[in-house]
Amino acid sequence: MTVRVVLVDDHHMFRTGVKTELLEAAPGVIDFVGEAANVEDAVAVIRKEEPDVVLLDVHLPGGTGHGGVDVIHGCVGVETAAGAPVRFLALSVSDAAEDVIAVIRAGARGYVTKTISATDLASAIKRVADGDAVFSPRLAGFVLDAFGVAAGEIAEVDEELDRLSAREREVMRLIARGYQYKEVAKELYISIKTVETHVSSVLRKLQLSSRHELTAWAMGRRLI
Amino acid sequence: MREDVGMQSSPQAVPRLTRPTQGRVLAGVCRGIADHVGVDVRVVRILFIIVGMVSGAGIVAYLFLWAMTPVEETLGAGRPIDPAQPVSAQAQNPPSPERTGGTAMPRGSVLLAVGVLTILVGGIALLQGTGTDVRAGILLPVLLVAIGAVVAWAQLDATQRARWTGIAGWRGLGMARLAVGIGVVALGLFAFVTRGQSAAQVWDVALATLSILVGTALICAPFAVRLWSDFRREQDARVRETERADIAAHLHDGVLQTLALIQRGADDPAYVVTLARKQERELRSWLYGSNEDPSQTLAAAVTAAAAEVEDLHSVAIDVVVTGDRPLDEGGTALVRAVREALLNAVRHGSPPVSVYVEIGPDAVEAFVRDHGAGFDVDAVPHDRLGVRESILGRMTRHGGTARIRRREPGTEVILTMPHQEPDPDAAPRARARAGASSGASAPSAASAAAPAASDANGATTMNGAPRIPETAEPTTIQGESIR
Repeated sequence: MTVRVVLVDDHHMFRTGVKTELLEAAPGVIDFVGEAANVEDAVAVIRKEEPDVVLLDVHLPGGTGHGGVDVIHGCVGVETAAGAPVRFLALSVSDAAEDVIAVIRAGARGYVTKTISATDLASAIKRVADGDAVFSPRLAGFVLDAFGVAAGEIAEVDEELDRLSAREREVMRLIARGYQYKEVAKELYISIKTVETHVSSVLRKLQLSSRHELTAWAMGRRLI
Repeated sequence: MREDVGMQSSPQAVPRLTRPTQGRVLAGVCRGIADHVGVDVRVVRILFIIVGMVSGAGIVAYLFLWAMTPVEETLGAGRPIDPAQPVSAQAQNPPSPERTGGTAMPRGSVLLAVGVLTILVGGIALLQGTGTDVRAGILLPVLLVAIGAVVAWAQLDATQRARWTGIAGWRGLGMARLAVGIGVVALGLFAFVTRGQSAAQVWDVALATLSILVGTALICAPFAVRLWSDFRREQDARVRETERADIAAHLHDGVLQTLALIQRGADDPAYVVTLARKQERELRSWLYGSNEDPSQTLAAAVTAAAAEVEDLHSVAIDVVVTGDRPLDEGGTALVRAVREALLNAVRHGSPPVSVYVEIGPDAVEAFVRDHGAGFDVDAVPHDRLGVRESILGRMTRHGGTARIRRREPGTEVILTMPHQEPDPDAAPRARARAGASSGASAPSAASAAAPAASDANGATTMNGAPRIPETAEPTTIQGESIR
């Protein structure tokens, strides 16, 4: 099954580069069905094409000035032909924590930096299309910092939204160390599926937690 | 206090006249003057008291200085610090015991106030007794107004102080103090005005005064608002101008220079890549960075070390750091070991090279990972001291541990360094939440035990004869493993 992808970025050169690299690195996996360079075009294209995954730049012209966040807000409720929601993978040069937190909390399923290799990007797209979350090492580090894990805070029960469970912490630490999901699974003697579950659960906490430090951290440090 | 003495003895480092937030009795005026002039604070205090008793000029001078002298903008260090400097750097100087003593005894201030009041009342009674007319009808209201004003001002002062020290007091208490101050002033004024008159007469006068005040305010308000907004606009414009100039200067010094260099060196791809990467990092740290000084905090030091290796070898390194703490001896050793591990990774491994440093409440853990063919510690020739000395040996000497793991693909170097002393910066946060104060004893015990072990280890490594203990995986250099 090919993944239908819409690419949203305001740099034409970058869009061309990503497309070429992805088609070379993973032929037959990704089908580019559309692209856009600003918020309005992006929303129109996504509503028309109903893709599986949208590769989304964080900074875009147009809309209300919030770039990728505006696109996500503009596409609430859009579903693919199969009935799954359209999923967003943020792709950005920005390391600013407020950008990361904004786009994740708006609903993106993952965040990777533009320096990612084409192979990794292809597998990230596949993963997001399957409904899983994608964390870059930087995003994992951010999560550990913002949830106070470094200071020794661990959730008693997994359902607690404001803290990570011990297992989630382990997974995040390994991802921060640059481990792939399969390496994480091998290291912790769990299945890749379980790793994906943990990461998705962290993503959910990241999106739903009212932990004030998330925002305070993002505003205060402005750095991942 | 040692630090203050040192600063006073050198002529060029006279502290600015400020009011310290610690080691003060009333508002810190005497302490500030003492620090500024370089004499014992007791001398200044006695002088103020004598001058105040004799003519009252001392009291006026004290109040004047209180109003005019800025509060010392530090976190307890005995010198004024540029507010632009990172807080972590300022927290490096823990408040000396004598200074903290001042705030720890509010009872002393209360006693002092009671004493002063007693002397005043006694003095008045004495004068009255000897037949001198002190005109209590005027003196008492004036005294009331003065006390009320002092209470209200002191509250204002406390809020300002709280802003610098970051210790917000109980808001309700502050409001209560302000209310009491205003109440006492009003009472004093009322007593002053009603002297020998009926309340009805006073009411008429008060009403007339109030109407004049309201009228004046109505006439003046538009002008005042206009003036204020003009002032604000001008100020904003100036700030924007400064910012623009700042950005222009940065672009000129950094980006434009690099672009010029890139144009000149366009035929050397490696050189261009290095330049671009360096410029990107600089720009990024300028845009998103925290401008921490690498010699002050561990996170900044690690980032700087990675940047240096990146520049040397033109290999991109992903750096992720969580948490932070001031840089101490153990931290410096860790940073050097990380640097060495990164150098190994870029020389012998292959990209992507990444480093993850987690600065926890009890220890720092660092992970350096590459994706090369990997290497066997035991296969490294004995004359090559890079891994054995600079990484394993260094960590052991400073009470830490180092492990080298073979990954598929690549190598991962895992370094752990327990904190040598309770963290003055990050610990309050961790301690408040996790109650980790007891954790401080374990690392210090570990570091105390380490030198003996490392002596033996260092000696044997120098001989070159003994091998590093052969364990399957991971290779552990100390007997214990990390977790």
